[in-house]
Amino acid sequence: MIPIKHILFLVSGVSSFIIFYMGLVNYLTSVESSTGIILLIFATAVAAGTLLSTVYISKSITNPIEKLAQNMTEFSKTNKITNKKSIITNIKEIHELNENFESMGQKVEKTLTVQKEYVVKLKEIDRKKAEFSSMVSHELKTPLVPILGYVQMLQKQELMGELNKKQLDAVDEIYASALKLQRLVGDILTTQKLDLGKLEFNQENIDITELLNSIIKDFSPIISQKNIHIVKESTKNGIIFSDKDRINQVFSNLIKNAIDFVESEKGQITIGAKNDKESVKFFVKDNGIGISETNQKEIFKTFYQIDTSTSRKREGSGLGLAICKGIIDGLGGKIWVESKENIGTAFYFEIPKQTIKINGKK
Amino acid sequence: MSKNSTIKDGKRDSNHLNILIIDDNEQITKMLTTFLELKNHKCTVANDGKQGLVLIQENKHDVVLLDLAMPEFDGYAIIKALESKDMLKNHKIIVFTASTVTQDELDQLVSRGVNSYILKPIDIDLLLSKIIESAIS
Repeated sequence: MIPIKHILFLVSGVSSFIIFYMGLVNYLTSVESSTGIILLIFATAVAAGTLLSTVYISKSITNPIEKLAQNMTEFSKTNKITNKKSIITNIKEIHELNENFESMGQKVEKTLTVQKEYVVKLKEIDRKKAEFSSMVSHELKTPLVPILGYVQMLQKQELMGELNKKQLDAVDEIYASALKLQRLVGDILTTQKLDLGKLEFNQENIDITELLNSIIKDFSPIISQKNIHIVKESTKNGIIFSDKDRINQVFSNLIKNAIDFVESEKGQITIGAKNDKESVKFFVKDNGIGISETNQKEIFKTFYQIDTSTSRKREGSGLGLAICKGIIDGLGGKIWVESKENIGTAFYFEIPKQTIKINGKK
Repeated sequence: MSKNSTIKDGKRDSNHLNILIIDDNEQITKMLTTFLELKNHKCTVANDGKQGLVLIQENKHDVVLLDLAMPEFDGYAIIKALESKDMLKNHKIIVFTASTVTQDELDQLVSRGVNSYILKPIDIDLLLSKIIESAIS
């Protein structure tokens, strides 16, 4: 960037020099020395006048512009019209420029104040919303206590008398639905905590192979019920210092999804971990229906349900993957999906082996 | 420790316990009473914290089931009141809660002298085993 001052001085300097030089040449080459002297004096005067007027122009144009620029810088820093440098000018254009800047600045100031008020209001609404849903989840949990209690008692026929097959089936259905409701309420609570940055994380040494084995063990009853397979891809063993329960929760959500995606008989789910130097990359792969590219972008959002027109009906809350993402974010890692329709899906999540500072969303 | 507990062969009979239930929700206390009485235990119910504290101090129960979230005088207040009299460890208290109590808070309660905790909704088998565990501890 070149200051306008320098350009003015350069142009006027060069033109003054040319005028002076022409006068000088004329004087040296002219036959009549008196005419030459007059011309030389004239040329010198013109050159000097040019330089002087440049100084004047520079003062009256560039100085106020410089001050205005400083005021603007100040404004962009503070968002307030401070007018530290007072601009006095009798040049119409600069005067207008300054006036326009000031009125624009005042408008920006006003808008920002209004915006700040909005932000405060929105934060308040957000907090109230979170409080409300936390309260609702609590209130929903309370009536579930007697519902589940009595249903469990009915299921124990030695306690409340024998039920016939139809009655027992009905009781089992009530129990299954009540459990689903309980999980949904739990998911809503977890999502709320994630939103508020209140989800707590623990840290302990976790043996990766042991972790994967226990997950396979937990899921084998439901897996064999559906006549599908779950296998562990052999991995280099290692220790990770992180939150075991939360990692289990993520695996559990991903495996439940995979179970919904695969067909019985042919379905295969593979879990595993790639043990790197600084982090561990866990995965859950399936050979199910896959997820379309449009859906892949959306699935980690809260309450997102994959369009069921082509896929089978899902029973989840639409919170599972959002919770996974919240947990992995909180553990300082990342989660992503790779999928091809009708071929399969792979969910990956990578978490640091040693999370220095674990926290939720701020 | 409690005077009324049924003693058989020098041991407290864990099949017939006196259980005090403190919870403001009557449906919950009714369900728990139904279940525990079917299991041959004797239940006393307090539907508010103040009454609960009075009953605890009567010292007639083998195990106390205590809800943490109650209006006004809640489970925490009861625990604090017992602590201030250095009586908390004299009672076998199982706290239960559906609220958003964190794991840390629950662990803290246990380290202060609460016997055990259980989260609502309640798995009745788990509840029973915790009650018996606490009673014979």
